[in-house]
Amino acid sequence: MSIEQEEQSDIAKVRFFAQGYHVWRGRAARLGFFVLLIGVWQVAASLELWNEVLFPHPKEVADAVVLGMRDGTLPQAIEASMRRLCMGYGISLLIGIPLGLLLGRKRLLDDTVGSLAVGLQALPSICWLPMAVLWFGLSETAMQFVIIMGSLMSITLAVRDGVKTIPTLYLRAAGILGATGWRFYWYVLLPASLPAIITGAKLGWSFAWRSLMAAELLYVTSGIGSTLMMGRELHNMALVVAAMILIITIGLLTDRLIFRFGESFIHRRWGFGGRD
Amino acid sequence: MTMVELKNVSRVYLGQSGPVYGLSGFDLRIAEGEFVCIVGPSGCGKTTLLNIVAGFEPPDLGEVLIDGDKIAGPGTNRFVMFQEHALFPWLNVSQNIMFGLKMAGIPKREREERTAALLKTVNLSDFSTAWIHELSGGMKQRVALARALIMDPEILLMDEPFGALDSQTRDMLHEEVELVWQRTRKTILFVTHNVREAVRLGTRVILMTAKGGKILREYPIALPRNRFLEDVEVVKIASQIRDDLRHEVLRAAKEEGYHVD
Ligand SMILES: Nc1ncnc2c1ncn2[C@@H]1O[C@H](COP(=O)(O)OP(=O)(O)OP(=O)(O)O)[C@@H](O)[C@H]1O
Ligand SMILES: [Mg+2]
Repeated sequence: MSIEQEEQSDIAKVRFFAQGYHVWRGRAARLGFFVLLIGVWQVAASLELWNEVLFPHPKEVADAVVLGMRDGTLPQAIEASMRRLCMGYGISLLIGIPLGLLLGRKRLLDDTVGSLAVGLQALPSICWLPMAVLWFGLSETAMQFVIIMGSLMSITLAVRDGVKTIPTLYLRAAGILGATGWRFYWYVLLPASLPAIITGAKLGWSFAWRSLMAAELLYVTSGIGSTLMMGRELHNMALVVAAMILIITIGLLTDRLIFRFGESFIHRRWGFGGRD
Repeated sequence: MTMVELKNVSRVYLGQSGPVYGLSGFDLRIAEGEFVCIVGPSGCGKTTLLNIVAGFEPPDLGEVLIDGDKIAGPGTNRFVMFQEHALFPWLNVSQNIMFGLKMAGIPKREREERTAALLKTVNLSDFSTAWIHELSGGMKQRVALARALIMDPEILLMDEPFGALDSQTRDMLHEEVELVWQRTRKTILFVTHNVREAVRLGTRVILMTAKGGKILREYPIALPRNRFLEDVEVVKIASQIRDDLRHEVLRAAKEEGYHVD
């Protein structure tokens, strides 16, 4: 290697480590912040600034989590919730993405089915629960139905809007490059809408999660929502807070593990949109 | 033999301040193997002309014939190099170049071989796996040129493809286009605002009116090839066309009521 090349590769190394440094500094800052938050909570609780019945001590919450994990009730609740969520949300994705792609391309379909979707989106999905229970009984299907009604519209509409904003230039290029029929949908429309699909999937996930929690709170079955409700009935506020923290944690983890992955994929190729 | 024929083509846009003629009563015949360059003031209808020949927009009146057949939309016998690059951001450089071959069902081996050869021609072999947003403007246009050449269309439509390039890159790409044209005698319709570029490349230069979307004058260029931008003859003809262009711009401005001295 010439001196110049060596210098260049040194610069590359420095850049590489600088990027790593930013990532790790971000992680450390985040961890520190949450530790600080718990510290403040701990101090405030031991100063007895409020009645302990109103908001529990961190130690009690930790105990409730440990106990729940030991006797298996929490893992069971998480499993029950996640199973419903994956089924319902998965079905929403499977229907919503192709439907959104079609709505973005076919004017007539958008004027009809599209308006219906917009209308239905205004209806909080928990409103479907009475109907769902009437049709499917107090079953998993009823829960999944509520999840689907909660997330399908937002996924469909986000993908549709993404398709509609694909630059005309790409569509014209696709035509002269010979991408017609199914090839156009698979090789051009789908990848060109990927940023919108990821946005839609993320939005749909948070709607699905909310719908599920609402449904589990209203109809005691199993799952994290029901655990929270049980805590309320037993006046066990530590269990209520533990369930809330679990709900937040699962939300955060999904965002980190699944959607960040998608966003950084988009960022690498499009050069925008993702976070580093 | 006439390859491309525009018969009385008109295209009107409804602008904010009344109708704007992209083209009106436009007649043009391009023979097979001709290299026709279109020049004209900004907004005179050059892109409109290209879009109509490409089949992206239907003419409001008149018709476009290719080999005597009326066109009814885009086709793979015509390829367009757009004013902006129009490369796909979800594919890397070589995937972009070979996309058309993939759509045509050409086997992977052949696709890769032809892509590698073209990457070499446009001097981008080191960037075959780069993403589009990582390239400079000139590199993007070179990829776009490679993507156009690999399609091997009968008619190549180019909309100011080298407008935003530095002069060295532009010279290199001129030579590339020249070579392709001499070797394959493709029919090329080339839009540019650079008159010298038009004279250097074209067998015929067409000057459009500033308004109204018509042909003002045509200039057959009979100079021997290969020409260069600095050739005395090229500069001489170009300066004559540029004079006509300047008069046209002034005339259009006067018509609008501006006083330009
Ligand atoms: N979609 C549109 N809607 C309204 N007016 C349009 C539209 N497209 C083009 N025009 C008008 O038609 C005229 C011709 O436009 P065109 O894009 O063909 O010009 P051009 O010669 O390619 O210009 P430039 O050299 O700046 O690229 C312009 O006056 C423009 O304002
Ligand atoms: Mg133009």
